[in-house]
Amino acid sequence: MSRLYACIISTELKRDKEVLQAIAHQFSYSIEMLADGILFDVSGLERLVGKPTQISQKILEELQKQNIPGSIAIAETVETAALLARQEHGSSHAVHEPETFQQLPLTDLPIEQDTLNIFSELGVNRVKDLLAIPEDELVSRYGRGFRDVVDVIEQKGRQLLTPNVKDSQVSWGYQLDAPVENFEQLIFLLNHGLERMFGEIARDALSTEHLHIAFKLTNKTKKAYEIKTSFPTLERAFWLKLINLRISLDPPDANIIAVDVVSYFTKPRPAQKGLYAVSRPEPERLLLTVNKLKNLVGEENVGVPVILNQRIAEAFTLDADVMPEGRERIETHGEKTVIAFSYFHPPVRAEVLVREDRLVFVKTHYFEGHVTEYSGVWKANSKWWDRSWKTQEWDVEIENKGIYRLCKVGKEWFLAGEYD
Amino acid sequence: MSHLALVKSLSHLQEEQKYSDEILLESTGLAFTRGTVAEIIGGPSSGKTSLSLSLLAKLTAAGEICAVVDSSDSFDPCSAILAGVELENLLWVKCGGDLEKSFMSADYLMQAKGFGAIWLNLNGLPQQKLRIVPKTYWYRYRTHVRDTPTLLLVTAEEPVTGSASQQAFIFERERAVWSGSGRYKLLREFCISLHSRKRFEGQPRRTRIEADYTDV
Repeated sequence: MSRLYACIISTELKRDKEVLQAIAHQFSYSIEMLADGILFDVSGLERLVGKPTQISQKILEELQKQNIPGSIAIAETVETAALLARQEHGSSHAVHEPETFQQLPLTDLPIEQDTLNIFSELGVNRVKDLLAIPEDELVSRYGRGFRDVVDVIEQKGRQLLTPNVKDSQVSWGYQLDAPVENFEQLIFLLNHGLERMFGEIARDALSTEHLHIAFKLTNKTKKAYEIKTSFPTLERAFWLKLINLRISLDPPDANIIAVDVVSYFTKPRPAQKGLYAVSRPEPERLLLTVNKLKNLVGEENVGVPVILNQRIAEAFTLDADVMPEGRERIETHGEKTVIAFSYFHPPVRAEVLVREDRLVFVKTHYFEGHVTEYSGVWKANSKWWDRSWKTQEWDVEIENKGIYRLCKVGKEWFLAGEYD
Repeated sequence: MSHLALVKSLSHLQEEQKYSDEILLESTGLAFTRGTVAEIIGGPSSGKTSLSLSLLAKLTAAGEICAVVDSSDSFDPCSAILAGVELENLLWVKCGGDLEKSFMSADYLMQAKGFGAIWLNLNGLPQQKLRIVPKTYWYRYRTHVRDTPTLLLVTAEEPVTGSASQQAFIFERERAVWSGSGRYKLLREFCISLHSRKRFEGQPRRTRIEADYTDV
């Protein structure tokens, strides 16, 4: 069954927006606001009103009743309806018949100016001229992108109405009868709140990646949490676990008497799993796991390693706010195994025997032995403008043990780590 | 009938499947099987950290997400970069020398499923503590990673996983090679011998691990 779309283009949209919406609502529930007008689905009105021309007349009558200027068109595709209605820029009460579509100038179509100039030189100025050219010729000459233009002129456009949502957030709140000490007791209540909010969000075909939770406390203060994910999801169990983990990291310091939750809208996540995609943890599971780990070992101890562009002893840090991305490296390097270094935390204090400016013997709490080979001394210092930082380092091989980095800071000797 | 030539035999498919479940390190000739526990045992400077980083480099370069459970905060990201690890694809968990936290962290990571490899680095933890870890932990881990793409790699100075690990390799440093003379020497490479603790047949394999002094 074919669809029918109506479009009203108005020059006074700002002034007449609400009236136009009211008129559109008389004919349809499926409405999209445009920058210069309104689009609505009038499919099925043929039985109630009659032919498309009669539907147009009916809409026009409504416009005239309200004394609103507007240009009306009805067509089987969204693109055609919008193009027809835009012909006279909504300056007067006018109804555009679908038959006039072929007379439209090409300048109204989404065609690049260079291409339009070529068409103009060839004498192709209107839609009917372009329709006379075989579509395969057009696509092969102007690229696959031109297929969209061909679809529009052949009135086969696939654009759908997009609901315009006025709100960008939905909220829910609950006043408790009695103060609650532990947040976990509120989870069942929050589950109910999320169910309602996510239901509203899903109805608009949207999703969320940001929740704001605020607790009113018995000590007349408020405690607020911003919980964000790197991906939109409406999975309630996931959000509840995440909220619980975040709040347990920094619990409220008094009893809770009210809870308010705001969920911000975002576009849903396009989910596409490739056959050849490498395996990665699901984003929800990864985020929950990272939060569980933060609860276990501390927030600052879980994250992604980052190299610092500084000349300091350990020129790296752990970025706890970043999640692993799973990005594939395009250029491939040959596989290589290089000697890795492994730190001792804290550094191991050592006693070193130096004879004739040569390292001879190293003794630590864990082992002792003769130095068989060593390299150095490597002198390092940096951040002299901030604080004095100087070390002298040697790489030492200890008999029947390993190869270590030996440091001397002042008069103290330490093993900083091991080559492994 | 000619179309049947396009159909692969069951044994061929099983062979392909087996291959895709393995992570092969060409530089050492070792192949690790996904969905299992593997163990690398070695004393000081035996190359177990180098090999672990090499494995992580291979997986993270392909876009897989891996995790390091850094029991004694010994992980050096600069070495990881030199080995070719994509740090953006690596989750680093510092456990501050706490054995219990290390094991729980590994447990959480395995439950997440989907990690390419989880490296449980037990170097630097006291051996007495490691010996009292119940063997059931390792069987629990083996069950967790089974039928997942995850390889649980455990490195320690002494064997800890027992029969829960499918592969266990013992690394030994035969010698370290230094270049230069007098005071002007540089550590150049480790000559490592490695053999399987599970299969006693065959000669130990030998490999070299070179030093890389590139500034990161």
